[in-house]
Amino acid sequence: MILEFMRDDHRACDHLYAEAETALMAKETKKGAEAFKQFSKATLHHFDMEEKELFLAFEKRTGMMGGPTQMMRYEHQQLRSLLESMRLALEESRINDFFGIGESMMIMLQQHNMKEEQMLYPMTDRALGGDAELMVQTLREMKR
Amino acid sequence: MYNGLSLDQAPPISVVLRFFLSVPFFGMLLSLLMILYPAQVLIPSHPYSLAAVHLMVLGILTTSMIGALFQMQSVLGGRPIPSAQGNALIIHTLLAVGTLALAGAFFAEITALYVVASVLLGASILHAANLVLPLLFGGVSHDTLRGMRLALIALSFTAVLGIVMATSYASGAFSPSHGAIRASHYSLGLIGWIGALIIAVAFQVIEMFYVAPPYSPWCKRNAFRLIAAALTLKIVWLFSPLPYGWVFDGVLAALLLGFAVTTLQRLRGRKRRVSDVSIWFWSAGTALLAIAIAAHTATLAGAADVLEAVALIAFLLFALSVILGMMGKIVPFLVWFHLSSAGYLDAPIMSNIIPQKRAKLLFALFLLTAAALLAGVFIPTLFAAGGVFAGAMFGVLLYNLAYALKLYRHTLAHGTRFTQE
Repeated sequence: MILEFMRDDHRACDHLYAEAETALMAKETKKGAEAFKQFSKATLHHFDMEEKELFLAFEKRTGMMGGPTQMMRYEHQQLRSLLESMRLALEESRINDFFGIGESMMIMLQQHNMKEEQMLYPMTDRALGGDAELMVQTLREMKR
Repeated sequence: MYNGLSLDQAPPISVVLRFFLSVPFFGMLLSLLMILYPAQVLIPSHPYSLAAVHLMVLGILTTSMIGALFQMQSVLGGRPIPSAQGNALIIHTLLAVGTLALAGAFFAEITALYVVASVLLGASILHAANLVLPLLFGGVSHDTLRGMRLALIALSFTAVLGIVMATSYASGAFSPSHGAIRASHYSLGLIGWIGALIIAVAFQVIEMFYVAPPYSPWCKRNAFRLIAAALTLKIVWLFSPLPYGWVFDGVLAALLLGFAVTTLQRLRGRKRRVSDVSIWFWSAGTALLAIAIAAHTATLAGAADVLEAVALIAFLLFALSVILGMMGKIVPFLVWFHLSSAGYLDAPIMSNIIPQKRAKLLFALFLLTAAALLAGVFIPTLFAAGGVFAGAMFGVLLYNLAYALKLYRHTLAHGTRFTQE
């Protein structure tokens, strides 16, 4: 339940990033910047859903406070910093830097997503049991 | 249920790089063998041919795959390999020296070296499997994890059968089952270890890193069960021996062809259209896999045995292609990642660690190597030329890896580090 919802959200973010890359490759800077803005917004919203709701619920149910969720929060911070560097590169028209940082960001983001999809979300689904549906509803209603 | 679970990021960079850095040295040794003795390398079961095959599967493929496993385990397995630095040192040293001993045993026909190789390679591989396999059971399970389990189990059996064969070579006494043991050894090694691990990685990497359409959930769920079942039945048939054993070869060929075709489709349908050499390596690799399957199927149907050499070379090139593509991503990422995680503000970006130009040169040399080696099955002079291209390719690989390490060390020594007062 949570796995499917969050995995689909990961994929939706990835598609926005691919759109930004495609537009920037075609030298459509304005369109690329807009797609990147959407990607960044969607990714940050995804992090918020996790940090403000999902991880708290997981920690409460399992009692695991400083474990995997803490590492995921740390990675969110690293990714936020990379997104900011990419935004600056785009703003200053340093397109090569944007792609250079983007390559690292994408690998890091996907490794992060793999950990969540393969381990953390299935564990959260198990931990929340019948309440998983309610959690998805809460996440869906969170303001972007 | 969650005992030992850690989503920690990565083992120290030396853990992975020690494996990767030895790959070009084995590659150059293999190239030399192909340049100096092309005709002998092409004769199946000739000692020089066996030396070449083992330099490739152990020194190049298994060494890089075990190195990558140390990295993958912390991302996909949920529980990182304990004491990664010490265990990597033990596994890598035993594997490297064991591979040299085995190649030396075949090349110089020194009986004692078979014993040395058996002990070192057996210890290395079984220790690696014993270390990683328990981490893959007992927690949350997923398709890639199932593939990793199959790969490591197959690798363990490959090693055990290899030891049995090495004792036969050492003593000169071959059991009546030698043929069945040999066929089981290479089937488990090529399909169970190399094939299954690459498929397991592809299931994750293709969809997520290239934003490609997902593989069918049914295929992901059942691929490793089917491969395991077909391999097990093939081995039972080999030892029985029963008729129609080729049916299982046909099933494995169909499964691998399905994988090659669906992977190519996914790569073509990917959303990320950025020019990326790793995609070229994946595409070339899957095309080589299709050639290997076609050649192997033709021999099942009664075509000339020479096609079996084409099948083997194409299959090994398929694995090498995927590995070179992945290495070109993993190494710059790890250099950047470890430096920036340690707070170095001037950590080089990935495209400055292995520039696109050198990545493309590596790919061009790979294509030349593949074309010359495959054509060389029919014209031995071309096979030797393939050895020259391979030597150049491994030279570029060594330069890429050494340059990445140099940049890493330079930044560690001279970089500006962010520190909190």
